[in-house]
Amino acid sequence: MSIKLEQVKYTYSPKTPYEQVALKGVSLEIEKGEFVALIGHTGSGKSTLIQIMNGLLTPTEGVALVNRQNLAGKGAAVKSARSQVGMVFQYPEHQLFAETVYEDIAFGPRNKGFDEDVVEHLVRQAMEFVDLDYDTYAHRSPFQLSGGQMRRVAIAGVAALDPEYLILDEPSAGLDPVSRDNIFARLLELYKKRGLAVILVTHSMEEAVRYANRLVVINGGQIVLDGRPEDIFLHHRRELLASSMDEPQVYKILAGLRSRGLQLPGSIKDGASLLAALEKAKGLTPRKTQGQKGEQAHAQ
Amino acid sequence: MEPIIIVKDLSHIYRDGSDQEFYALKKVNLHIMPGEFVAIIGANGSGKSTLARHFNALLVPSEGMCLVNGMDTCDESHLWDIRQTVGMVFQNPDNQIVAAIVEEDVAFGPENIGVPGEQIRPRVEAALAAVNMSAYAHHAPHLLSGGQKQRIAIAGVLALEPKCIVLDEPTAMLDPRGRREIVETVRKLNREKGITVVYITHYMVEAMLADRVVVMNNGSIAFQGTPQEVFSRVEELKQLGLEAPLAAELAYYLRQDGLKLPEGIISNEELVAALCPSN
Repeated sequence: MSIKLEQVKYTYSPKTPYEQVALKGVSLEIEKGEFVALIGHTGSGKSTLIQIMNGLLTPTEGVALVNRQNLAGKGAAVKSARSQVGMVFQYPEHQLFAETVYEDIAFGPRNKGFDEDVVEHLVRQAMEFVDLDYDTYAHRSPFQLSGGQMRRVAIAGVAALDPEYLILDEPSAGLDPVSRDNIFARLLELYKKRGLAVILVTHSMEEAVRYANRLVVINGGQIVLDGRPEDIFLHHRRELLASSMDEPQVYKILAGLRSRGLQLPGSIKDGASLLAALEKAKGLTPRKTQGQKGEQAHAQ
Repeated sequence: MEPIIIVKDLSHIYRDGSDQEFYALKKVNLHIMPGEFVAIIGANGSGKSTLARHFNALLVPSEGMCLVNGMDTCDESHLWDIRQTVGMVFQNPDNQIVAAIVEEDVAFGPENIGVPGEQIRPRVEAALAAVNMSAYAHHAPHLLSGGQKQRIAIAGVLALEPKCIVLDEPTAMLDPRGRREIVETVRKLNREKGITVVYITHYMVEAMLADRVVVMNNGSIAFQGTPQEVFSRVEELKQLGLEAPLAAELAYYLRQDGLKLPEGIISNEELVAALCPSN
């Protein structure tokens, strides 16, 4: 069970003066159960890539397969394969349209032809997943909610379709730290409970290292790095910076400390583990329990 | 020196669908001095964008007042002068670009306010040079990167020769390189041209670069001060749904553990230097 791209090339406006090559032969397989962060600068090809993954774009060359089904073409099998890939676009709250939260989330399931009692069940489940109380919010207008809440409604609308693969394009852009952490907490729960694959497009290196178990870096229409986030941030700094990406704050501090001769273990990947290592290195007794601190001094 | 922006007991009331009154801002008082670089931070819905929209009369106070260079924003006869004094840059660069060629886009503002023809070209050239985009004068904006588009939007504001620029989350949609480009551009305009900057952001590492950080909560100013002062208040920030930069948090917790560290550590470099003295 995977999304598989084989030698995918994509060219916009081919054979015209505006021809632009966006992908130059990308091979990538993402299995169910993976949490992949996809990073790359504006114009690197990542938006094209995710649109190919759910069949919105058909490769100019090569194939895109979902659960071994080619996404190109027509027919029931193609449609069903495409519907396994849910997509939350950038600023998804701009796509809310219905008069109530319920109606908005129900739109997808209804379109799939479910009976109303099934639809209601899916809406309730999706609202629970994004931590919006059904009785409080279901019959409110989505437009009266806060930015973070609106975004959660939009994510619920995709979650209600119960996809096996969920692609999110910068789900935290423009949100404050609390709303951002909230969205990711819900997302992680969804990921763990349903065992789906999450593909997170992000400009935040902190999010990549904190949530993903695989990091794919795209530059110039090609995959330049693919591996565990910790390994990439620790060992491939130069390639990362050459792709106009950044590194998480915690790795910047680590690099500074190590270059000045402070010995620290190699397992540090967030604020909490760095704090614990520093306490040990300085022979300090932590004042608070590690659990509390782990939550507080997180990687930003 | 007179403040360029004076906000006095300013309240802003929105009405929702059922005619309920809702205070987006409540009795806010704030002075911004010419040449200052002020960052405004706060959770979603804390009122920071609403406040910023008062600075160039996109909104006017329900109660209290807002003076821009001594001009009351409620007095419509000052509207054009106020908007030329304070320019706004928004989050989404795509929504702010109107022309098909970069230099025409930058010229749109000055043409609109009736700047004489012979002065427009020099203004456009100066504005593009200031954001380091002169090489792109004849390019089509839609083919540029996010950071480049946002710099064009800033140039469009600069061409009006404002004394103050208000930027409302200008980097929220940009990649790391785009973010660096915007931050560097804004700092340069502030330092070299003395333009007053009001910078709204959710990125604490960007707010660290300001002279002063104003923290908004629930329509009011919770507290303010230098970045060192503000970001040392780790627990209070947390309660407002914000977070201090990682270096400031680490310093705070290490100090709580009893480690002797100097006050005011907020940057990675300061933390590293304090933890690893050279000798």
